[in-house]
Amino acid sequence: MKPGELKLPYLFQPGQLGRFKTKNRIKYGACCVSNYNTRDGFITEREFARMRIIARTGCGMITNQGAYPDPLGEGKAYFRQVAIFDDKFLPQFERIAADIKEQGAVAIQQILHAGRYGGIDLGYCIQPSDVPQTLPHFRPPKVMTKEEIRDCIRQHAQAADRAIRAGFDGTEITSFMGYLLANFNSRFTNQRTDEYGGSIENRGRFMRELIDGIKQATPDNPLVVRLNGAELMDKWGGNTEDECFELMRQAVDAGVDMISVTVGWQEAPESSIGRDIPPGYWNYLSERAKKICPNTLITFGNRLPDPRMADACLRDGVFDFWEVCRPLLADPDLIHKAAEDRLDETRRCIGSLNCLSRLFRDLPYTCTMNPALGHEVEPEYQVTPAAVKKKIMIIGAGPAGMECAITAAKRGHEVTVFDKAARIGGNLYAYAMNDLARPDDLLSVISHYEVVAKRLGIEIRLNTEVHAKFMRSVLHQYDVCVIAAGASADRTHYENMEGVELMVDALDVAHGRIAAGKRVVVIGGGKVGLTIAEALRKNQGAEVTVVEKNKRIAGDVKPSFKWRHASWVEELGIPCLTSSQLVKVTKEGATVRDGKGVEIVLPADTVIFADGAKPAHELFHEFEWMVDELHGVGDAMIPRGLEQAIQEGFRLGVRL
Amino acid sequence: MSALPDTVAWSAAAARHNELFAALTPGARIGLVAREAPASILLWEASDTGIQARTAPYPGFFDSGADILLSADAEAMAAIRAAVDGQLFSVLRAGIRNGDVICYMLSRRCELEVQGYEELLDALGFAFMGACR
Repeated sequence: MKPGELKLPYLFQPGQLGRFKTKNRIKYGACCVSNYNTRDGFITEREFARMRIIARTGCGMITNQGAYPDPLGEGKAYFRQVAIFDDKFLPQFERIAADIKEQGAVAIQQILHAGRYGGIDLGYCIQPSDVPQTLPHFRPPKVMTKEEIRDCIRQHAQAADRAIRAGFDGTEITSFMGYLLANFNSRFTNQRTDEYGGSIENRGRFMRELIDGIKQATPDNPLVVRLNGAELMDKWGGNTEDECFELMRQAVDAGVDMISVTVGWQEAPESSIGRDIPPGYWNYLSERAKKICPNTLITFGNRLPDPRMADACLRDGVFDFWEVCRPLLADPDLIHKAAEDRLDETRRCIGSLNCLSRLFRDLPYTCTMNPALGHEVEPEYQVTPAAVKKKIMIIGAGPAGMECAITAAKRGHEVTVFDKAARIGGNLYAYAMNDLARPDDLLSVISHYEVVAKRLGIEIRLNTEVHAKFMRSVLHQYDVCVIAAGASADRTHYENMEGVELMVDALDVAHGRIAAGKRVVVIGGGKVGLTIAEALRKNQGAEVTVVEKNKRIAGDVKPSFKWRHASWVEELGIPCLTSSQLVKVTKEGATVRDGKGVEIVLPADTVIFADGAKPAHELFHEFEWMVDELHGVGDAMIPRGLEQAIQEGFRLGVRL
Repeated sequence: MSALPDTVAWSAAAARHNELFAALTPGARIGLVAREAPASILLWEASDTGIQARTAPYPGFFDSGADILLSADAEAMAAIRAAVDGQLFSVLRAGIRNGDVICYMLSRRCELEVQGYEELLDALGFAFMGACR
């Protein structure tokens, strides 16, 4: 056994699903549809390349992403979702099943009928009842007739049979996120008065018939059903947790082989998988499922990103299999690192939800932490040995610089990183220290860079500012210079304003270099300004007002996290004056002109500037004739955020 | 059954928040109903002469003619009534966010944008909502 397998004995013990043995207790969950495929449901080479990575993650059981089972596309939730409604798709599924099985994993194909969230190419979606949408992205509902219900079950059974003929060992149906199965199960969306609605027995009828139909079509193959332990829709009249578990009982009685316990609907008014939810928060749902269904395999993994936590859960009987997806998007080698006792090198999923939130903008999924994800088919994204080994200096130890350094070092280059600060991480460190959601996730990015840089032998010279004089002192010592020095506050717009010198920069406050007072005005309601404002309010009890020149705050925040800032400022009682311009700053505070031209004075002992940043372009001009190759990455080029810093650092690292 | 806010006050609230309604095209409708056993619907209705408020018998989601339908539980309805002369949109936004008010979208986002709902959706918190949390 490998050293990590000895430390995580429950995770790496063999398991069994139906007649199939699994090499460990890890199930790759089909949590994301990739949106890499053709508009008519065929699998692309981009997808095959991604699947090769998934097949090699080391999981004992691998679930291929959900395919829609009907020719009309009523079940289709995503623009480029895979289809399985016809034998014409068989050869592609055969290829995927074979690859998964060649790696020694049990292969499961998910059949995903999106119901309320489906009909993406149509003008409607199908549901048990005509309950309107609460998210305007989705299509208006059309009520299913009994004949359509029967057809739908038949289509699922045929899809399952097709998957098994393609070589998959088992199939999976899903009510995760509010798809069709969930729509029938839930009181919120099922208001039928026939035998498919009303009582929980009737609401569960569709599920039981679905399970029965698939089991009849594929009697020798296991069937997994994903069921909510909590819909988080009960406030809207959806199922209570008790009802969710009653439905699990029904699934067991109907003959399902494994229950995958999930949490939440897309439209639920509560967060379920974002990084504001602590790891392990939902484990109680799995524990309850295990108690209620003791003779059925339970798999679970919502907000459970760490193999050590999963091992403890398996030991304690919380579940039988750890279901994991997003942590394996961020780091496809996670299981191998766990087995080899190298978990300190893990690139953790930070729960930014970049993956999922892109799907609802009809874009392919990507990963903040894994720049190669979705580009596996492209040679340009492969980390290959460098043809010419170079000496590379990188200015700036933030995410862009460190990502570039690590990627270049993996290719055989000799890399030195310089930073004027006393630690690596750049402004990510400051951001993490002020983040109200989960600083630990963001700090994990920095610790990953520290560990990996050390193992790769990258030299890091801290407390070293690189300027023209320094560059002259190292002339001809490096072949390449990469400027990853980030951005600084851009006060150009305010340079003639009265009292500009009285403002302090947000990053100085965030890094702890300047202490803010008790009455604070923050100029700029983007992610930097809001993060500072929230931290000062919550952690120091300061009275804070945010002034934003645009109509809305959070303009540069990821779509999946905008709502969080909007909630925080309201919960914390932070007034946000939008469409408002800073007029002047005095020792008494800030004078602001609102959208109607009315000037008001906001008393403050500290006015923090967070209204724009400028890249470190001056370094490019200064260093241009001092080194053979000069490049820039991240905020040093265009100030944006973590994702772009990591992606650009990697992209430059693979081509240096 | 929880009472709907007074029609006159509802009309005045729209006038007070004119910036949210100014871009609505004539015919645009926003409805408010009680979550439990709704019998009546309170409507804001855009016309050439501005926003009118009126109540009507509630015929169900799709026959209501509303583009957006707010369905409030009893507690939320009481809070809405109390806020109708004050911070109405803060109360609606908070109610939607915490689940006490369900905001049904009877038109798709692209249609709502064409009808001039951008500011109103923003005030209801929809600039900050979406799938996957």
